[in-house]
Amino acid sequence: MISSLEILIPKNLNEALSLLVERKNNCRIIAGGTDVVPGLQQGSNRFANSELLIDINRIPEIKSITQTREKISIGGAETFSDMLQNQIVKEELPLLWKACSTIGSVQIRNRATIAGNFVNNAPCADTVPALLVYNATIEVESLSSKKEISIGEFLTGPYKTKLNKDEIVTRINIPIPSKEFRGDFYKLGRRRAVAISRITLAVLTKTQNHMIDEIRIASGAVTPIGIRFSDLEKLAKGKYADDKFLKLLSQKLGEQILNVTGLRWSSEYKLPVVQQMFYQLLKEIEHG
Amino acid sequence: MTEIKFIVNGKNVKVAVEPYIRLIDLLREKFDLTGTKEGCGVGECGACTVLMNGRAVNSCLVLAGQIDGNEILTIEGLANHNALHPLQKNFLLHGAIQCGFCTPGMVLSASALLNKNPNPDEEEIKDAIAGNLCRCTGYKQIIEAVKETAKEINSPSKQL
Ligand SMILES: Cc1cc2nc3c(=O)[nH]c(=O)nc-3n(C[C@H](O)[C@H](O)[C@H](O)COP(=O)(O)OP(=O)(O)OC[C@H]3O[C@@H](n4cnc5c(N)ncnc54)[C@H](O)[C@@H]3O)c2cc1C
Ligand code: FES
Ligand code: FES
Repeated sequence: MISSLEILIPKNLNEALSLLVERKNNCRIIAGGTDVVPGLQQGSNRFANSELLIDINRIPEIKSITQTREKISIGGAETFSDMLQNQIVKEELPLLWKACSTIGSVQIRNRATIAGNFVNNAPCADTVPALLVYNATIEVESLSSKKEISIGEFLTGPYKTKLNKDEIVTRINIPIPSKEFRGDFYKLGRRRAVAISRITLAVLTKTQNHMIDEIRIASGAVTPIGIRFSDLEKLAKGKYADDKFLKLLSQKLGEQILNVTGLRWSSEYKLPVVQQMFYQLLKEIEHG
Repeated sequence: MTEIKFIVNGKNVKVAVEPYIRLIDLLREKFDLTGTKEGCGVGECGACTVLMNGRAVNSCLVLAGQIDGNEILTIEGLANHNALHPLQKNFLLHGAIQCGFCTPGMVLSASALLNKNPNPDEEEIKDAIAGNLCRCTGYKQIIEAVKETAKEINSPSKQL
């Protein structure tokens, strides 16, 4: 049960950022509340000591989706439902669109926001693998500063990010991927399902005459946080994408996952599944 | 205590509450709108579904202090005075109600769908109610009831 809390609804970004400074010791941002409210209800440690919730759902500056020649910029407080209805996201960022479509239910997607997803940074945050392969950067503002860092750098550990207490994620910026990229997002298992059956993968590739020009690979849920596999990406560059190589790449992915996870989880079951999924994904992307 | 103003089932209301109570508790306890049910309390079952500004949300995941100025529709506000909403009528006709615990949330999810998309296919219906669990019916009758309602809405001659 929640015992006492104040809630304020700032009307613009400046008002919200000022509140974060004035009330810095005991306030927390709430967007969709789909992580915060259950957390408060269950008395989770992560949400203890909150005395003030700052509701950021009515701040126009962080709610739009815009497109320039080079990039797409998504407001931090944009809900998954709004992203799914957005034609730009659907056409230019299909992996992110697909990831959003798999999240929760209509009721959850009507409230849950993109920044809330990766600021919470649960191992199973579904937007993360897609944001990683799209080379997304995160715009973060406080009253006195504004910075932009890559998503990979922003996420530091399970439930941990580089966000300071006085900052808000205002925008997620994504360079428009060239039309030559093909890719897919794959998700196995429900959020509450036993951790062991939960796997997410995102892959983007650019090949020319079956030669791998560039490949970007990210996982979520199988690793403690979503990550890119840059060693594999380097290994694959310039290789011929035949069956033998795709199999090798899948095997290597399994080894890399073992490395980062340090064999903590039951690899026997999950590893072959990840490898098989990854192999299927590569084959489908390659053969269309 | 905070004073909040909002619209519930078409009526402007003003109430002084602790801002941290959940919308479901506000509706049930302060407004006696007990058609909104609590199943899981964590966003998984959809029994607490209400429409906020026309969109289905889990009222167990919204806090009272967040709704100032918003418009809430509960199952009690769906019928037009004494005439059942076509969805309510068709749920009854198609045996889509057994114990009835999931029904208010289920009907509201379906009505949000039909308001946005009066001609949904089966996949769209399934997606719209995927966040509403029903232990009794097996969903088949529910999907039928929604389809039938869509048909009625789209053929004006048959409308109530
Ligand atoms: C039933 C259910 C099913 C779910 N299914 C899925 C699923 O399938 N996949 C998945 O990935 N997740 C799932 N989730 C988790 C959750 O819905 C997502 O993580 C969601 O994106 C969180 O966003 P929110 O706006 O609700 O965050 P909130 O709960 O409002 O906030 C989460 C955290 O982010 C911070 N925050 C929010 N916005 C900002 C911002 N702009 N700047 C700085 N900090 C911010 C908050 O302070 C808080 O620490 C599910 C949750 C529920 C209850
Ligand atoms: S009671 Fe709200 S979703 Fe179950
Ligand atoms: S009718 Fe009993 S839960 Fe749906």
